[in-house]
This record gives sequence, C-alpha cells and structure tokens, in this order.
Amino acid sequence: MIATSNFHYQPDEHELEKASNSYVMSLIAIMGGLPLPIINLIATSIFYIGNLKGTYFVRWHCIQALLSQLFLLPFNSVGFWWTISIIFTPENITNNYIAYIVTIFVFNLTEFIGTIYTAVATRKGKHIEWWVIGGLTHLICKDR
Amino acid sequence: MKKILIELIISVALILAVWLGLSKVDWMKLFNIEQVTQNTEEKIGDLFWKMLKSSETEISSDSIVSPVDSMLTRICTANTIDRKKVKLHLLRKDEINAFALPNNHLVIYSGLIAACENEAELYGVIGHELAHMEKNHVMNKLIKEIGLSVLISMTTGNGNAEMIKEAIKHLSSTAYDRSLETEADLTAVDYLEKAGINPEPFANFLYRLADQTKHLPSQIYWISTHPESKERAEEIIKHIKNKDVPKAEAKDSLRFERLKERVK
Repeated sequence: MIATSNFHYQPDEHELEKASNSYVMSLIAIMGGLPLPIINLIATSIFYIGNLKGTYFVRWHCIQALLSQLFLLPFNSVGFWWTISIIFTPENITNNYIAYIVTIFVFNLTEFIGTIYTAVATRKGKHIEWWVIGGLTHLICKDR
Repeated sequence: MKKILIELIISVALILAVWLGLSKVDWMKLFNIEQVTQNTEEKIGDLFWKMLKSSETEISSDSIVSPVDSMLTRICTANTIDRKKVKLHLLRKDEINAFALPNNHLVIYSGLIAACENEAELYGVIGHELAHMEKNHVMNKLIKEIGLSVLISMTTGNGNAEMIKEAIKHLSSTAYDRSLETEADLTAVDYLEKAGINPEPFANFLYRLADQTKHLPSQIYWISTHPESKERAEEIIKHIKNKDVPKAEAKDSLRFERLKERVK
C-alpha cells in the first residue's frame, strides 16, 4: 500500500519539514473533523493552497495528503449521513449499518496510521508514494 | 493512467468487499441490541401503564370491554397477529384519543369510541394503533426522542415520576413522523381488508375529525396528534381506489350503538 522511492532531486531540510507538515495538517484535521468529514478536506485544501508556490517536493506531498483525504471523503460522507438519518428519521440501526461503520473505521484507521508513518518518513527525507494516490499525484503535480 | 484506474477499482472493490463480508456478521445479536431493547420495552411499557392507570379511570365493565376486545381479536386473527401480546385498556375520558404504549399496551379513551359514527371507524383506529405496534414505531420514537439510556434508567428505578409522566404525555399527545403515520394508516387499511372491513369509513373519520378540530381543538387529541389528517385520508382513498376492498359496513351496528351509549 505504501512504497518508498527516491525523489528525482534531494529536497533540502526546509522542504522536508513543509512536506511533512502537510500530513500533520491532515492528521489534525482528521481529529477535528471526525464528526464532519468535509472539514478534513477543507483543512488539507487550505494547506495545499498555502503551498501552491512551494517547491515541487512540497507541492507533491501536499497533493498526496489532499488526495488521501479526498479518497475516503465519499465513504465517510455516506457514513455520516447514514448516522444522521438514523438519529433524525425512522431509519433503524441494522447489521449493514454497523458493518459499514466498522469498515470505514478500519480504513480511516489504516489511513491515519499511514499518514503518521508518511509524516515521520517524509521528515527524515524518504519519499513515500501511496497505492493509487501516489500515481494520481504524479498525474496532477508536475515539476515546473 | 490504466494502472491507476485498476488500482482505484481494486481499492473501492476492497472496501465494498470488506463491508459485504462484515455485514454477514449478526452485529445486532453480537452487541445484544435487540435483547436490550426488548427487555427495556417490556419494563417501560408496564411502568408507563401502571403510571397511567393510577391517574386515570379504567373501564372494567364487561359490556364495554368485551365488544372492543372482540373487534381487536377480529383484526389480530385475520392478520395473524398474536392477540395475547396486545393488552387492551379502555379509559373513561372525554378526550378523543387512542395511543399505543411500549410492550403492546393499546389505550383507547371512551371519548374516541363515542366520536365514532360506526364500528368500521373504530376498527380503523384500532388497526392504526396496532400498525404502530407491529412496525415498532412506539419504541423507535421513544429511543430517538428520549434516548435508550434514559429509558433504561427509568426501568431501573432511577427515573422520577415526573419524567415518566412526561414520556407518557409525549406518546399520547405528539405525532409520529408523517411517513410513520402514513405507514400506519396504509397498514391499518390492509388489516381491515383482510378482516373483511370496509376501510373507507376510517378515511371518513379522519376527514370529519379534521373539520371538527377547528371548533374543538383541545378535545380531539387523536387528530391534533395526527396532523395533516385530510391529506392522510386522501392517501387512504388513493390506496384503496383500484383495490377490491370490502364495501359492506361492519356488521351489528346496533351492538356498536349500544356500546356508544354505555361509554357516554
């Protein structure tokens, strides 16, 4: 799911810190945004916009952090609105609902652990590419 | 690009597969959700009825209870509903009201019986409340609006009398969601059909009381707690329009007239 590779240039210390911060930002957003999945995305987007003029390495990792949030957003949103409908409408708790919540919990937890690992590794100068997200990031983020 | 697309499809498929796999687990049983709810329902229903009984006058006269009981039995038998589980209670009160309490307690006020013009109307009301019970609307409403933890605390003796009275008042004088009311109406129509009773008078009852509400709003609880009655009556009519529903009125209207006299 996570592959370590060499970036095509050696980023300096300042870049490593900024790139690592993009993941830290998304971690904080996960904690703050648990009840409202969209908050994660907004927070990471703001951080990305703030680093639009950053170096390629920084932008690349900001986009990877942003896309990792975007990937789980639809799943989390379904879980959120399903829960809301159970609380406020005649909808009942079912096995399917509990299974769904457990599923998105497991995948969010995986993403959470992956994010911590990536933040630490990026700070140490390693270039981490996520399954699916890494490839998508390469498509979006180009070296100027 | 193709590689990313394949990876994306695999990832989404993996999430869906995990969900599908986990949904095979009986989580409701695992977390004991149904058992806890069932036990709470039994205790809370009996507690509510005990409290209500202490503040109202229950009709015990066989000449009044028996005809209503036989009406309830007729609907239950025709719809394979276990009659024994439904506890029928008639209370002497002028309010036009009937409601279901948890654990299948069906409460009907004498005012409602007196307001019915014929037996089929009362059959409709009984069917409607029975539908709320069968569709588990009563406990769902309580859990959503009061909370399971509060209900459990009531059953363990931690709930004070005021809190219980408020909960009973809530069940007897506030409406269910519109969708639940419609579901109960249409289920009642099905019950009546199976029992060979014309459901049209039930729609008429809703129409008539909706009109009367304008003049006597405080007395007609069953209608004020069942809003948009005219629209609901129209939905019933629409529901039975193309169906071969029993057209004959309920038999023995003389017996019903005698019942009405007795409850006055």
